[in-house]
Amino acid sequence: MHWAELLAELTLMPLVAFIVGLFMVLMMRKIGARLQRRIGPPLLQPLYDIVKLFGKHTQTSHGLLHEFGIVMAVGGYVAAETLLPVPGMNGIAEKGGMITLLYLTMIPSLGLALGVGQCANPNGSIGISRALTAMLAYDIPFVIVIAGVAMHFGTTNLVDVVAQQQAGGIETWGATQMPLLALAGLFALQGMLGKQPFEIYVAPAEIATGPMVEMGGKFLGGLFVMQCFQLYTASVLYVTLFLGGGENWVSFLAKSFAVLVLPISVAFLFPRYRTEDVLTMLWKWPVILGLLGLVFVGS
Amino acid sequence: MIGALDMLLLAALAAIPLSALFATTRSGRWLLVAAYAVQFGLLIMLQPATAAHSALSFQLLGNAVGWQMDALGWYFAVITIGSAGFAAAYAAGEWSEVNGRLGLSLRWLYAGLQINVLAMLLLLASGDFVSLFIGWELTSWAGLILMLLAGGDAIRASLRYIVYAIAGGMTVFAGLVITQAAVGSLQFDALHAAAPSLGTGRLWAIALLFILGFSVKMASMPFHLWQAPAYAYSPAPGSSFLGSISARMGLFGIALVAIKLIGLAQLDRLSLVTDLVDLRGLLTWVAVFTAILPTFVAMRQNDARLLLGWHGVGQGGYMLLGVIIADRLGSAGGLLHVFNHATYQAILLMAVFAVIHRTGTADLNRLGGLVTRMPLTFLAMLIGIIGLAGLPPMNGFVSKWMIYRALIVDGHPLLFVATVISTLGTVLSVYKLLHNTFLGQLRLEHEQIHEAPWSMTVPMLLLCVVVFVTGAAPGLVLQYVAAAQQAIGLEPVRYILGGIESPTGSLDMLWITAILFAGFGIGAVLFYLIGGRSRRVHQLDNYAGGHFLTADVRYQYSDNFYAGLMHRIRPWYRGSFEWTESALVSALGAASTLARGFFEQANPAQWVLVGTTVIMTWVMWYALG
Amino acid sequence: MTDVTLAVVLPLLGAFLLPLTAHRGLHWLGMLLGPALLALAALLLFATWTAFESPYAIALGGFAPPLGITFYVDLLGLLFALAVPLTSLLLWPGGSDEAAIRQQSLTLLLAAALTGMALSGDLFNLYVFYELAAVASYGLAASSATGPAFVAAFRFLLISALGSVVTLLGIALIYFKTGTLNLAHLATLSERLADPQGLAAFAMLLIGFGVKAELFPVNAWVPEVYAATGKRVAALLAGLASKLAVLAVVRILLLVFPHDEARQLLLLLGTLGVLSGELAAWQARDVTRMLAWSSIGQLGVVLVAFSLPGKAGLIAGVTVAMHHLVVKSALFLLADRWGGAVDRLKGAATASPLGAALFVLFALSLLGLPPLPGFWSKYLVLSGLAEAGSGMQHLALGVILLGTVIEGGYLLRIITRLYAAPERDIVPPAHRFPNLFASGLLALLLVAGAILIDPLWQGLNTLAASATDTQVYVQTVLGGKGITR
Repeated sequence: MHWAELLAELTLMPLVAFIVGLFMVLMMRKIGARLQRRIGPPLLQPLYDIVKLFGKHTQTSHGLLHEFGIVMAVGGYVAAETLLPVPGMNGIAEKGGMITLLYLTMIPSLGLALGVGQCANPNGSIGISRALTAMLAYDIPFVIVIAGVAMHFGTTNLVDVVAQQQAGGIETWGATQMPLLALAGLFALQGMLGKQPFEIYVAPAEIATGPMVEMGGKFLGGLFVMQCFQLYTASVLYVTLFLGGGENWVSFLAKSFAVLVLPISVAFLFPRYRTEDVLTMLWKWPVILGLLGLVFVGS
Repeated sequence: MIGALDMLLLAALAAIPLSALFATTRSGRWLLVAAYAVQFGLLIMLQPATAAHSALSFQLLGNAVGWQMDALGWYFAVITIGSAGFAAAYAAGEWSEVNGRLGLSLRWLYAGLQINVLAMLLLLASGDFVSLFIGWELTSWAGLILMLLAGGDAIRASLRYIVYAIAGGMTVFAGLVITQAAVGSLQFDALHAAAPSLGTGRLWAIALLFILGFSVKMASMPFHLWQAPAYAYSPAPGSSFLGSISARMGLFGIALVAIKLIGLAQLDRLSLVTDLVDLRGLLTWVAVFTAILPTFVAMRQNDARLLLGWHGVGQGGYMLLGVIIADRLGSAGGLLHVFNHATYQAILLMAVFAVIHRTGTADLNRLGGLVTRMPLTFLAMLIGIIGLAGLPPMNGFVSKWMIYRALIVDGHPLLFVATVISTLGTVLSVYKLLHNTFLGQLRLEHEQIHEAPWSMTVPMLLLCVVVFVTGAAPGLVLQYVAAAQQAIGLEPVRYILGGIESPTGSLDMLWITAILFAGFGIGAVLFYLIGGRSRRVHQLDNYAGGHFLTADVRYQYSDNFYAGLMHRIRPWYRGSFEWTESALVSALGAASTLARGFFEQANPAQWVLVGTTVIMTWVMWYALG
Repeated sequence: MTDVTLAVVLPLLGAFLLPLTAHRGLHWLGMLLGPALLALAALLLFATWTAFESPYAIALGGFAPPLGITFYVDLLGLLFALAVPLTSLLLWPGGSDEAAIRQQSLTLLLAAALTGMALSGDLFNLYVFYELAAVASYGLAASSATGPAFVAAFRFLLISALGSVVTLLGIALIYFKTGTLNLAHLATLSERLADPQGLAAFAMLLIGFGVKAELFPVNAWVPEVYAATGKRVAALLAGLASKLAVLAVVRILLLVFPHDEARQLLLLLGTLGVLSGELAAWQARDVTRMLAWSSIGQLGVVLVAFSLPGKAGLIAGVTVAMHHLVVKSALFLLADRWGGAVDRLKGAATASPLGAALFVLFALSLLGLPPLPGFWSKYLVLSGLAEAGSGMQHLALGVILLGTVIEGGYLLRIITRLYAAPERDIVPPAHRFPNLFASGLLALLLVAGAILIDPLWQGLNTLAASATDTQVYVQTVLGGKGITR
């Protein structure tokens, strides 16, 4: 591959992710509004929000690490996007693979945790402790899913995973071949997005939004950007593993948005679990489904 | 004819009296650091490709005893001398001056460190079972010197250690004499040659005895209880050295005896219950549980040293797992993790001891907010925990990735999931370590604290460079790992500078690292160049719940950091192993009381009659039977 | 050719002469007499050792065997005989008051008796020397003249006396079955003893000689006696006397009872000894009792080693026995002023750094840290057990290893106390110079042993080859090659 072409891909992939992510945020809000019989925000509202947050006059920093945490949170996702193949662009996906991606997406979380820690607000620290606990909760079913998919396709290379599914058509999709794992993956996805019923770590009424408690202005703006990336990464990864990836941009975007509809709808219909119940929930059903799925993959 | 190996051993030997002599002055200690550099240089001069023989060889009690170093031993030796050198440098300056004034024997500390290095070199250069056992026992006892130095809590931990260590040593001893009985010689080659023709019973005995004995040193489950306290309470250089490399001698032993000498083909003959479970399968699960359970024990520790000590136990599980899986990727991952763990664990322990040096405590409930006071130490610990947690771009990720990949490719999804659970637990635990030490509220009494002296920060930061560079370019280390794999008869890993090239999923850390930092760059540009200017507030200027908090109010969220998680999993901490250990000790005590009762009875002479009667009965029984 | 019988006679003579020097003006003679006689005996034995070519027998009083009393001189006997005056010299109780002279005289008596045991070629003779040694031991055990010492000595006396009766019964049984007590003659008649009656006789001898050899279960006197007497006496009894008793058992085993059953009995009792001794030591609260129990365990290992068949067993046994002789004597010497609770030892290393360091060295050798000789002795026993390879032997192997682990636990408990910070600045007293000197010499011996282990082993091979060869013994004694005096 020519270096210029690669450079273009590496620039475009995060950019696309960001833009798609913005629309995913929009979709999330729209769905929420419709469920609550509201009209919902206009098309560019997410972008306005970011601009507003970055432009705020009062920007309180608790120190270098507070700022660097936001840089890591955004930068980590920018990097992660280049490992996630999209139609026509593979970036450096072949040099990483799904395990690397899994671990690379922990870097933004670590950045956020560092930034919050520097703020010395106990509510923030409690939020991080809960967020990490939630990570322990949803990542266990999620790695079962990853293991099953990698075993099934015989590779950890996401490009190959996509290629295999596209070559065989819909009956070779991960979701058709491994319905149990796909279901378990949906549970994990819900946890990964940090939406209800698994949003105890934000819990605005209890711990004053937890990690976000000391975040204002562009600190919160950075986190907003991070959320766009997070939605995008989670849904595209799911599409890549189970729904054949994107044959072209239309089907790719359609699938990616479709994947999010269910978790978001669920999020607006459920209250939240307590931390220990998050653990119970995610360590029970999705794990059982995932292990059953593994048995089928193995046999 | 004195060869390169002899030069190395002689240098290590000569450095022991030098250490005792020069350890009390600052310049003397730097001289000793230079002595480690000399040893390192001598080691580098050994050719790792071929086994270097020592001129030192004896004919002892009918056994040829000699020393030689192959690529496996060389790889471990590099880590050993490196760890010792960094530990010595870390303590060379202010640390020793302060602790020497507090009554620590610097002569014993430095001499003990050097004795450890010599003992380990002898072990790593063993050429037959006798020299292996000599090295093994010397290593075990040398470790005790460093552990005992601190006094206090360390004494109890050391006593516990030495009972475990002797038990492990005696198990190896039993393996040694049974090997001799089975193959008629104590030469490595003899076992290697005879292994295919040994009966399964004999093979089981030999393999199990050696592996059990070596496992004690590795603190594999169920022998894991001794290690964390024994290593944690040692003085800083001792702790960092022991924590980096000492336990890995067990892995060396297993790689040497089980993998190289007995061989995978023979190990696979050892199965239980109609091939359902075999020795290797059993060991992989032992390794996985060693990776998981100690990690979750670590999470509950309130002493930073113990927390790291328990993680050391857990990380040993990864190494054992990789080596037992023993395919080209897994075994390379396991061996690579030895190096990686040594580097980041040394950083972490050094950072914790730097904090102790300044604040006088490692209690995670008595610290906090030190990031502004000790930024370099914070940076070192940050890099260290990223390594320990196994996140990119530090070197810990690469070795773990190789093990994960091996597990998936070999079709062990459950083992893979289990190892990831351990990693996740590690992430939680190390964040707690970092948060409770450096983040959150700064305590008033720590307001005037300064960064650790350069003699302590420089070694840490140099190690950080190592962790980062070998993370971005693992090929630098993998070439030696590949040589070590070949030395124990495994297929060498196919590596590139950036990592692994494989048709079923590659890893190129050069790219990953570059892209990550490019991402950070973009993040930084977005954050700093766009939008309003941020205003820094003082570290002690905080509020919560809409109320201003004065610095003398303690609001650091530190104790029981993962309250929700613990609420769920606390019933799972049953302390079964502690319970079993104390039950064994109690049983021993009861047996001891019985035995004493026999000797302390009022009228012992009756035992002459009883003895006579019993023996006569035995004779009669014998006559009839 | 020098006359080895003098090595027995001279100390015996000295033992009776010494009390005469208690009068004023002869003190200097009394101070010199004992050491001089022992040194002379050692020189005599050493000269015999260096001039040694092949085993020979000495018929005392001019009666030819099997009728007369026989001394048999071979390398095995000489080695143990040589150890007697040397060790006694090293552990010589100094002083010139009446009590000291009594103790010296008893020591000379013990030395004479033990040398006699090493060289004796006749079962009854062996018994007589053994009794003589026992009498001397009672006196020594009570020599510190304290209440506990008298009680302990009385316990010892009771067990030992009963044991002697049993031995005498065993000897009678043998005489009844074979009509002789000459070991060489018995060796030719050993098939007659290969039945339950013979085995019973062996068992009785074992019980009797076992009292001094600290054999389980007739060793209950050990901890009390060692704790109550002076440590030099304890070292003498634990280090030296026990070894000679073992030698007696070994001679009998080799010559008279070369049967598997006898070996098995020895193996069984040895294993039990290891187990009971080490277990009891684990909870011992004072240092001397701990060492006493440890010594029971160690002697168990010695017996297990000698129970191994053939040359390997003898080599292993002699190595372990000699190692224990050196190490246990030294440890008792070093523990001289460390009586009482282990916890009171805190800070002892500051008062006596050299003593503490020597203690560590000996303890490490006892635990078998390579390359110290303790490792090699353990290696010989264990590889012999593994080689022999029956279930019972593997069990013994496991028990010895387990014993080592327990031993490590309690010895390290002492060592950590030695180097701990003193409590309330009460530091245990420093070592007396003679004790330190003697244990220093033993340490040099130990280190020399570590360096010269291979030549020593070669030598032991020759020693064992001749000692295990019953034919040589029989032909030497009965074949008319004996020297008559």
